[in-house]
Amino acid sequence: MKSKLLLATVALIALAGTASAQIKPEDAIKWRQSGYGFMAWNMARIKASVEGTYNKEEVVKAANAIQAIANSGMGALYLPGTDTGTGWEKTRAKPEIWTEKEKIGKAAMAFNKEANEMAKVAATGDTAAAKEQFGKLAATCKGCHDDFKIKQ
Amino acid sequence: MKRQDYRLWDLPTRLFHWSLALAVAAASVSGQLGGGLMSWHGRIGLLIVGLVAFRLAWGLVGSTYARFRQFFPTPGAVRAYLRGDWRGEGHNPVAALSVLGLLGLLAAQVASGLFSNDDIAFTGPLYDLAGKALSNRLTAVHHLLSKVLYLLVALHLGAIAFYGLVRGQNLLRPMLTGRKDGQGEPAQGGGIMALAVALAVAAMAVHGAGGGWMRPPPAPPPAASTPDF
Repeated sequence: MKSKLLLATVALIALAGTASAQIKPEDAIKWRQSGYGFMAWNMARIKASVEGTYNKEEVVKAANAIQAIANSGMGALYLPGTDTGTGWEKTRAKPEIWTEKEKIGKAAMAFNKEANEMAKVAATGDTAAAKEQFGKLAATCKGCHDDFKIKQ
Repeated sequence: MKRQDYRLWDLPTRLFHWSLALAVAAASVSGQLGGGLMSWHGRIGLLIVGLVAFRLAWGLVGSTYARFRQFFPTPGAVRAYLRGDWRGEGHNPVAALSVLGLLGLLAAQVASGLFSNDDIAFTGPLYDLAGKALSNRLTAVHHLLSKVLYLLVALHLGAIAFYGLVRGQNLLRPMLTGRKDGQGEPAQGGGIMALAVALAVAAMAVHGAGGGWMRPPPAPPPAASTPDF
């Protein structure tokens, strides 16, 4: 009886495990695109503040959102083979993402670091520092786009 | 005493030239580095719009050697130059091809940049006229043309070095002082009225390129009209 229960539990865990690991490629691409799209809105909010009238609350909200996405482990969405495929639109991921692991790892780390810093700076409400940090953060986006994103 | 040199490039042409050289260098650096420099990249781009528009106008109303009519490179003139039969002052027919090539390329480069976006936080001032899909295409064109531009600039500098070292012609001095050794006809025209016209053309170009004639974007909805979460 006990062993049956154990077996059932193991089976259930295994099932749950595969369920969470089995992301459909199309979904993976969609979620990637959604993440970047949502960050674009938040980048625009910070930009509006650092180039126009500064709104601390807006910048904090936006920086926190970007930080959360940056730390969400989006790398898990780059399933092998998803350099082709269509999510909300055709993916623009370059195959080099899967071959130049060290390089993209560095680019991703740089982005994480600056996203965390952006949230920290936003919380202080220092407008000049926020502007500077926004530039640094944007540069880390470019760091990846330049090498790993297809230009249409 | 007879002068040993004559007036070749007028002051507006020279100021245009050196401003353009600096602006293109600055645009290139800011575009490569990106990040916080992107807003400067956009501003410099608008400056280049103004400079190119000025030069196009100055090619019609400027002084003798600055005029397109003076140096327009007809196939016959290019062939004559390559045979060594061309005699003239100012831009020779092959140099004229380079001038028009650079101006045309820069015009295409700023035009594509006006509609571009970088998928980060930058959008050109006319982005809304293009929409995202077309903007993406134009951004790719913008990137591609930047590489062509490097080639043409290298060719331009190489040609100056070639004329200086091989042909013994100093092209730099006339572009700095406006004067060239020899007995050529001094440049005429391009007075204050012409300058005013060219500057007005440039100002209008910058205004339009900066979105000055676009409908203003709709005002953001009042806070109370969006849900409070």
